[in-house]
Amino acid sequence: MPLMANTTAKSDKLAHLSACIVRVAENRDKAAFAELFDHYAPLIRAYSLAREPGADLVADDLVQEVLARVWLKAAKYNARLANLNTWIFTLARNCRIDYLRRNSRYATEIDPTDIFNEIEDEGPGPFQMVQQSRVQQNIRVGLEQLPKEQSEILTKVYLEGKSHQQTSEELKLPLGTVKSRVRLALKKLEVLVPR
Amino acid sequence: MDKSNNHPYEELLAAYSAGSLPLSQALCISAHLEHCQSCGQKLQQLNHVGSELMLQLKPSKVSDELKTRLLGMLDSLPEDLPDGESREVDSRVPRCLHQFVERNYDDLDWKRVSADIHSVELCRDSNGARVELLKIKPGGSATTHTHMGDEYTVILEGSFSDESGLYGQGDFLIRDENDQHTPVATQDRECICLAVTEGPIQFTGFLHRLLNPFIRRGYA
Ligand SMILES: [Zn+2]
Repeated sequence: MPLMANTTAKSDKLAHLSACIVRVAENRDKAAFAELFDHYAPLIRAYSLAREPGADLVADDLVQEVLARVWLKAAKYNARLANLNTWIFTLARNCRIDYLRRNSRYATEIDPTDIFNEIEDEGPGPFQMVQQSRVQQNIRVGLEQLPKEQSEILTKVYLEGKSHQQTSEELKLPLGTVKSRVRLALKKLEVLVPR
Repeated sequence: MDKSNNHPYEELLAAYSAGSLPLSQALCISAHLEHCQSCGQKLQQLNHVGSELMLQLKPSKVSDELKTRLLGMLDSLPEDLPDGESREVDSRVPRCLHQFVERNYDDLDWKRVSADIHSVELCRDSNGARVELLKIKPGGSATTHTHMGDEYTVILEGSFSDESGLYGQGDFLIRDENDQHTPVATQDRECICLAVTEGPIQFTGFLHRLLNPFIRRGYA
């Protein structure tokens, strides 16, 4: 599919899903929720498996946990602050952090709940819509064009949940190289462009 | 409100957004974010990166059973946890530290480290990192010390200066073990910092060299 057509299809899909979350929030609409489930559950499952390949039960738990939160928190979702995909990502991330902490061999007393706020109050104020969607567009197109050596590091950090140290060990790269590749990648995605 | 001049490196903010940062370091980032609008905006963008990466994953089939089960549970899910805590915590305390501070900093069990410094250990991270608050009296020396690993500091109250400059509320600093800094709190008020240290601290001042065996034991 040509890039533009692909992008249009994606934003149509997102617009439809965003309408679903509003129906869930306002009408407790289970059919709309089922549509959200069908779209996001397989992605959340894949997200869990990216970190723990083969851990099917863990993946199913994460799906259930995240989508339960979607149902409970739907009314708090604020489209002005983040698109639905990004909101779901932060919910999945937060649930995964919580799961890992509860099931870690090395206990810590640190409770992540107040560290990773839900997206509605992350950052002090809303971006302008136009600017936000342009930023997302840049990120999406940019990711497709990233050199493999940079995208594989973002995958390790974001999807596999690896620390820079673990990434450096697994890829047999110096720690400094890992960090500079993250930074280069973010620069390419225009995340770091001064505003 | 964007008073801070010293920010976490972008790759650290990205690791925070990814959820792959040790929680002790994430605490520092979170405390900084309460004072820093520009990092807050960057974080929103970094979250978009995470979301786009998640969308690129090959979807993994979810069983119909799981869907049926969850849809059947929706009406009996417990209502969302209340957002507001009933406890009134001093507004000076960052939200990420509410879990350690009952009402305000005075409630904590501060221990004397030197004539100028009191500290209180809040917790340990699973990687062994020590999370503590340091309180430096006005004009007091925060000592010269070296440490085994990196040290993350966020200034919560007051300000201090060292050879490289002046640091104020919200500033985020990382010092490595080769750093021989001599921070001094400014005269006008006491300075409270959140500090995360990866390894045992070794004080290098004369008095601290004497104290060191005890301090080391404390960090063991
Ligand atoms: Zn900042």
